[in-house]
Amino acid sequence: MSLLSTKAFSFLKNAVTSPYIRALSVTSKLNIKELREYKEGNKLIIEGVSLPSPRSELLVRAEKIPDLVPTKDSENSLCYLCKLDLDVKHTDVLILSQFVRSDGCMLPRRITGLCRMQQKKVGRMVTMAQKAGLLINLTPSFCKKDPKKRYGYKKFNTYYDEKTIFWKRIPNQNDRFKR
Amino acid sequence: MSAAKRVQQWATFARTWHVFDCKWQDPYQSANLIKKYLLGLHKPIYHPMNDCGDVVVCVNSRDIALRGDEWRKRAYFHHTGYPGGASWTLAWEVHNKDPTMIIKKAVYRAMKGNLQRRHTMQRLFIYPGEEIPDDVKQNVTNQIRQLRLVPTRLDHIPEEEVQKFPKVMDYPSDYVLK
Repeated sequence: MSLLSTKAFSFLKNAVTSPYIRALSVTSKLNIKELREYKEGNKLIIEGVSLPSPRSELLVRAEKIPDLVPTKDSENSLCYLCKLDLDVKHTDVLILSQFVRSDGCMLPRRITGLCRMQQKKVGRMVTMAQKAGLLINLTPSFCKKDPKKRYGYKKFNTYYDEKTIFWKRIPNQNDRFKR
Repeated sequence: MSAAKRVQQWATFARTWHVFDCKWQDPYQSANLIKKYLLGLHKPIYHPMNDCGDVVVCVNSRDIALRGDEWRKRAYFHHTGYPGGASWTLAWEVHNKDPTMIIKKAVYRAMKGNLQRRHTMQRLFIYPGEEIPDDVKQNVTNQIRQLRLVPTRLDHIPEEEVQKFPKVMDYPSDYVLK
């Protein structure tokens, strides 16, 4: 009985404190990192192999940085990206490519583990980087792999302003040609 | 007058030739910068009646960058003078036709509309690519700093560097790598 109660307690604690909401699940976890397919005679064998993540060694967390002084906003948030207090731009391809599948699609929030605001912000910046042709190797296979070969206005260079991400309505640009 | 003073006098009144690389630059923002050099506003001896403007050579004008959706939202107006002769051409159509026209118009419109403007424009050279004719190139002595950083594409960064770069996001343990 005591064992059951401790199990239940740890389970609930996990569900509350874990940054991921995934802790509550009815079925058992699969723990799959890679799917392997191979043929053995007549049989086709599909195997799920659990592998260590290649990223965990290089992982940067705010708790591990001793010199980092938390700001007011970053202290209160639970999100790891908010805590780091980084000024990410749409041209920071090395950061944005971590939140992206191999076909350039943004990963959902249950996988990225970001807060709502950051998920939206990163998602928009990934779109900006894609449109600017900076993540051209992370695109579906049917995509033209050269941004200059895209159709119409898309073949020309475009840059974006990150301020526009959370604007409700983008105001009319004052006409620079008018005097 | 000493020799040093004489050289200083020449250097003050000589026209300097500047290069400006338009790669990934906003033409409307860089026009305000180019304008200053063309009119000589950056010089302490500036006076509107003093012909002290410099020469600016713009290269890579084909690779200019417009903000957001401006390629398909900004229109260039032209009127033939006949009834029904008005036409609006989108920025990307103008750029398709002549890759030097957008930057030229931007600089022209950034300057005050007086009689001097057309003569000042004669001192602006724009080239769509990196090649500059030799007779222009031999005069160039200065480079104007770009306003925006040129972004790097992910496929231009070596694979090793991408792997070694510190990671912010880690996959959950039950994630199937795709």
